[in-house]
Amino acid sequence: MTATNLVNRVVSALLALALLLGSLVVVVEIVAAALGRAAALIPYPEWTSWLRTHSWNDWIVTAVLGALVVFGLLLLLLAFRRGKPASLALRSGSDGVDVTASRRSVEKSLAAAAARTTGIAGASASVSRRAARVDARTVARSEPGIREEVESAVRGHLDSLGLERRMRTRVDVTTKDTR
Amino acid sequence: MSSRANVINRVVLVVLGLLLLAAGGLGLALSVGAFGAWRATYPVLPREVSTFPDGRPWFWWAVAGVLLLIAILALLWLLTQFKTDRTTRLDRTTNARDGSTTLHASALTTAVEDEALGITGVTSVSANVHEHRGQHVFLRVELADSADIGEVRTRLENEVVAHLREGVGDPRFPVTIELLPGASRTPRRSVT
Repeated sequence: MTATNLVNRVVSALLALALLLGSLVVVVEIVAAALGRAAALIPYPEWTSWLRTHSWNDWIVTAVLGALVVFGLLLLLLAFRRGKPASLALRSGSDGVDVTASRRSVEKSLAAAAARTTGIAGASASVSRRAARVDARTVARSEPGIREEVESAVRGHLDSLGLERRMRTRVDVTTKDTR
Repeated sequence: MSSRANVINRVVLVVLGLLLLAAGGLGLALSVGAFGAWRATYPVLPREVSTFPDGRPWFWWAVAGVLLLIAILALLWLLTQFKTDRTTRLDRTTNARDGSTTLHASALTTAVEDEALGITGVTSVSANVHEHRGQHVFLRVELADSADIGEVRTRLENEVVAHLREGVGDPRFPVTIELLPGASRTPRRSVT
């Protein structure tokens, strides 16, 4: 599951719980009022009189309405945000077989492929839908052409995966401070 | 986790987001005088609105009915969060009138895991039967750093998937394979 879906799931569970409890509490108040009982959980007489005494242009009303707009926009943002994919589609060789590669594993394996290049002390990688970015670190002053070597290793590893969509690569090589 | 739940969440979030945006936006327009300056000075709850239910006993029962409907929908939405696509049985019924045939998914998935673990470079395998737009087997395969991905894929598709399809008696049975390259440095034989 992607981080986006996880966030959506947590927000959805909280909203669903709030809607469920909120609706039930109001139903309880309606039944209690019908039986002639006083407000038990919601002080609705006070709320009603507050709404009667405040006009639309009161700052507090405007602030609440503004908050509603912001909250609505946040929900829309969550709903439409795609985020990074959990897996990347690979070319399928057989009918009815979908093959994918986990994005996190691809990142790990790209970093390992870059780190195997001579002169590279360590590397990290991040992969999005269309691009792979590798940050490699050299121990000493980098040899000329080391960036091309790392890029070639990364490119070769991506080719060996057989991704359905060709990916742009970007390699940055920095010298590790050994002081 | 269910991928259907992800779709439902997005749809409900869009509906709620649009409702809040519309309510808040209209209210803000009213408060800044977009519908006339005199309306902006009106109380949020005018007397004619607050006294509307007086003498109409059905009103609050209608509100309670709508709220109960919202509560039921919210409960269904909440339960959706805990559903998974996984299933423990494979339905292999060809003709429902002649009876039904089901296969225990664990028998199939254990055989698939064992066979996939025999491939060089594969360090860990988990197989599950998922129920999403029809049944399919989901195979999660961890690979060693040194694994030849092309070779592993060929053997998975030509041997493991072929045997699995033979087992369920369907040459087109859908299979999803998720590869985890570089999951471990040294091959180890374990099933998750």
